[in-house]
Amino acid sequence: MSGFLIRRLAQGVISIVGASIVIFLISRLSGDPILILLPNDASPALIEDTRRNLGLDQPLWRQYLIFAQNALAGDFGRSYRWQMPALRLILDRLPATIELALCGLVFSVLIAVPIGVLSAVHRGGWIDRVGRIFAMLGQAMPAFWVGLLLILVFAIHLNWLPAFGHGGVSHVILPAIALGWYPVAAQTRIVRSAMLDVLDSDHIRLSRALGTPEHLIVWKYALRNAAIPLLTMLGVYFAAMLGGAFVVETIFAWPGVGRTVVEAVFSRDFPVVQAGVLFTSILFVISNLLVDLSYGIVDPRIRDAR
Amino acid sequence: MRASWLPEWARGLPWLPLLVLAAVGLCAAIGEDMFPFDPNQLDLSAAFRPPAWQEKGSLLNPLGADNLGRDILSRIMAGSRVSVIVCFYAILFSGGIGALAGMIAGYFGGIVDAVLMRLIEIQQSIPAIALALILAAALEPGLSTVVVVIVLTYWAWYARIIRGEIIALKGRDYIAFARVAGVGTATIFVRHLLPNIFNTLVVLATLQVGQVILFEASLSFLGLGIQQPDISWGLMLADARQYITNAWWAITMPGIAIMLTCLSANVFGDWLRDRLDPKLRQL
Amino acid sequence: MKPWQASILAAMSLAAPAVGYAQAPKPATGSLTIAFAAEATNMDPAKYAAGVDQYFFGQIYEQLVRPSPELKKINWLAESWELKADGGKPWLDIHIRKDVKFHTGDPLTSADFAFAYDRLRDNKISRWTHLQAAVEAFEIVDDHHFRIRFKHGDGSYIADNLQLWAMSKAYFEKVGDEEFGKHPVGTGPWKFVSRAIKEELRLEAFDDYWHPTARPGVKNLIVKIIPEDLTRVAAFKTGAVDWMDAVPPSMVEEFKKMPGVTTASFVAPNNLYVAMDAIGEKSPMKDVRVRQAVAHAIDVDAIIKSVLFNQGERYVQVGRGSTGYDPDLKPYPYDPRKARDLLKQAGYPSGFEVPCYNLTSPREPYIKEVGEAMFAYLISVGIRCKVQGQEYGAWITFGRRDRQGHIDGFYSNMWGHGSPGDPGTPWAGHVHTYVPGAGWGITSVHSDPELDVMIEELKQTMDQDKRDALIRRIARVKHERVAGGFPTYRPVVTFAWRDKVTFVGWPLPGFWRNMQQIGLKQ
Repeated sequence: MSGFLIRRLAQGVISIVGASIVIFLISRLSGDPILILLPNDASPALIEDTRRNLGLDQPLWRQYLIFAQNALAGDFGRSYRWQMPALRLILDRLPATIELALCGLVFSVLIAVPIGVLSAVHRGGWIDRVGRIFAMLGQAMPAFWVGLLLILVFAIHLNWLPAFGHGGVSHVILPAIALGWYPVAAQTRIVRSAMLDVLDSDHIRLSRALGTPEHLIVWKYALRNAAIPLLTMLGVYFAAMLGGAFVVETIFAWPGVGRTVVEAVFSRDFPVVQAGVLFTSILFVISNLLVDLSYGIVDPRIRDAR
Repeated sequence: MRASWLPEWARGLPWLPLLVLAAVGLCAAIGEDMFPFDPNQLDLSAAFRPPAWQEKGSLLNPLGADNLGRDILSRIMAGSRVSVIVCFYAILFSGGIGALAGMIAGYFGGIVDAVLMRLIEIQQSIPAIALALILAAALEPGLSTVVVVIVLTYWAWYARIIRGEIIALKGRDYIAFARVAGVGTATIFVRHLLPNIFNTLVVLATLQVGQVILFEASLSFLGLGIQQPDISWGLMLADARQYITNAWWAITMPGIAIMLTCLSANVFGDWLRDRLDPKLRQL
Repeated sequence: MKPWQASILAAMSLAAPAVGYAQAPKPATGSLTIAFAAEATNMDPAKYAAGVDQYFFGQIYEQLVRPSPELKKINWLAESWELKADGGKPWLDIHIRKDVKFHTGDPLTSADFAFAYDRLRDNKISRWTHLQAAVEAFEIVDDHHFRIRFKHGDGSYIADNLQLWAMSKAYFEKVGDEEFGKHPVGTGPWKFVSRAIKEELRLEAFDDYWHPTARPGVKNLIVKIIPEDLTRVAAFKTGAVDWMDAVPPSMVEEFKKMPGVTTASFVAPNNLYVAMDAIGEKSPMKDVRVRQAVAHAIDVDAIIKSVLFNQGERYVQVGRGSTGYDPDLKPYPYDPRKARDLLKQAGYPSGFEVPCYNLTSPREPYIKEVGEAMFAYLISVGIRCKVQGQEYGAWITFGRRDRQGHIDGFYSNMWGHGSPGDPGTPWAGHVHTYVPGAGWGITSVHSDPELDVMIEELKQTMDQDKRDALIRRIARVKHERVAGGFPTYRPVVTFAWRDKVTFVGWPLPGFWRNMQQIGLKQ
């Protein structure tokens, strides 16, 4: 186990270093921040001065080495626009993004498990069909569109829920739905097929024969076993939620990393883009690592296959 | 539909989704001359005309008109072409590159595999939409950039799955025999490996359709996807949100087009998966 | 009467100068939550990068001179100022008010302006050093009297409200650069309390504020940041906020009819125009007749009405209320037949094909749709636009002569004149011939030696009457020759608030989101 762990950790570190290079290079190619930063009538001398002050006059590879060296010391540079450390800007906003991603994940599981279980129990029945279509709708609609329609209906017309910002539970409901609907289909499928396997197994048949009430069999014994494949995959879905947050945060004025990075891309604020994407990548790598580890614990055969 | 006159393979086909997909394909194929209107034709006097069944609606614009009086039906039809083009190239290249990388990694193993796997992991450790945003800003936004961005995001997805399949296949006796018998690597790839991963590829490609359409929509929504005068459903949504409370149809109709297309592709993909490759169910 | 006029008239009575007002105002009480569509990136007036930064520090800091709600320049922290000249070199003689305190309690003195001047001209701090380039010396006479001496005339200095923001030297020396930016201290009506980026700004009314009437009527002000239109509307409708910025144009009519809600519309200081290549060897727009055809071909009024929901005001070279505004200068009437005739005279009886670049990022509401509509009008007279979209990040470098050479064809562009405006700087940038490295014509695709001479003269002219006359002369020529692009409109921004709120729109130098006078009805 520990050899596996060390190998996976090393791979994770390589991924993050690689990701940092990719992000660094592409964001540098994406345009010149100077003209966005300086007024239209700035003199060429000021433009050159500013470029030098920001270190943009160096060759790219040197810029990367400087960046990497500083990043290791916890310094991701100062945001061009916000004129504050990029790292602080991102870290301050990371909890809100994680909160939103977790709420999206909770929403998806809360929907997917009942649908998956009921579809398995009433296999081929109307619950199975309707439930699966509902689950699949999430994979068929852009999250921003769902978000806008939710705001239109629940905030503007019905006035039930707040549409913006970060606060109590009520604030997170609409963004969590917009974000969490997407993976419901995949989760339902996992729960459903796992339930089908378990319901067919000998020990469930035995319990049934012994006269255990059906609801106990389904919701307690069967689900306990059928939930394992879903649990091992939660890290993957959490990572997907982090990605989805880029768009959903923009709609709901959610003070998270996603929205910050999107705006930074538009203003070519490289330090913020680098820090934001890199920290999301680190979360990605950690969640995937957890998935692999949980696989390893549940079924050691899988970890070698991956 | 379980008509007994159908050949056996066609029974139980998801007909409704296939019809939707065929309709999208047809719209994309027939070209703008056949549309009710030029989709970019402005008519400020028809601005915000509601759909035909509503009061003040007109059969001229059955699904209504947008803020510049452009016919929404024509624009949805024109948008289908962008969707089809993006899907076609994005899937062709991401599937092609991904499958090749997966086959090479799985077949040769060792250092080649290690390098490719690290590349795949690097790729998959960057949130797709973030990578796409930066890339789209770096290249000039537009249709071909959307394709490039999607290919760069999805090749790793194919590569990882195909690699797993190839590793399983490699252990089979007939591959080993072929190798011993001196059959060339290229021949082994084409004759023995490709046919065996073909089903998986078809399933993955079908399931990717919906993802590509949603991805394009998100990029266009953020302003770095399809650019005018090209028309895409995602761009229509992005535009319509500015007057969402004035014209529900402008934001709803393209959304429904996206929804029906993605749903159909996914239902069909599911059906294919159950038939061809049930082990992919966690995707 | 248009709504903006109503609100300006309402404001006039409140904005009277404060001299001789004896009674001390009561401290404000209560709380109010409002919504902005955009937020500042930093709050240090010497470091500001974009106009949007003024949304925040403009509540906290003040200038010597400022525009009043009716767009007149009024003395603010300056008690009086005068433009004088010694041996051809101009200088400003400035006396400041003696009753002004910073939020720390320190009195405002000339040393604070000297400090502001030093920071604004420091390349490492400020991005606006060029605005101080003409200044030769800053001389303190006494605590409330100083002089600014110029090497040569600089017209933009007065046009931009004497440039300087009052910054506390004592406070800066106490807390240092970092804290100065994080926790701003000014002389303004609002004290900084806290801010959470992408979330909110909290302010508190400054009880010792010097102005007796133009001051907050509420103790605590919470500014929420909600960029997405629909989300901001939802926040207003659900009652989460009681005042909102930037009602989406498509919803202005609905908001006006909403019971218990007041709206006011203001002309934003951004001036939009269609740039056209008039210098390219083969460019048809080199011919003045083609440019005039363009001016006749686009129905700007119809676009404002249908595409912008009337949330735009047409302008002809210079906006209403700006220096040099000329009410007699009328826009080219929409006349597609005349446009086609002019094209024929210019030798293009069957029109021509040309690239047309459209800005697609919502830099201003509906800017993309406006572009689409304008180019469609051009197509209908035979100027066959091949429309290409431009995203903001690309667009910003796009028109820059130092970056991209010159752009052929047409493209949507803009350059704010300020509010109240002065076109000196924008014209130097996009009408004057491009001169590499000299600061002239940085986005210009035009070249007209006669106009160049006049614009150069304008840059040095500080006297407001002379300036006014010169701007009118340039505007006439620019209009006749359709030089430096075809001016279209200035966006109109609408605010909405519930009836329990009292609000008077005060322009910052350029923006209307100043909370100088906001409060709750008693």
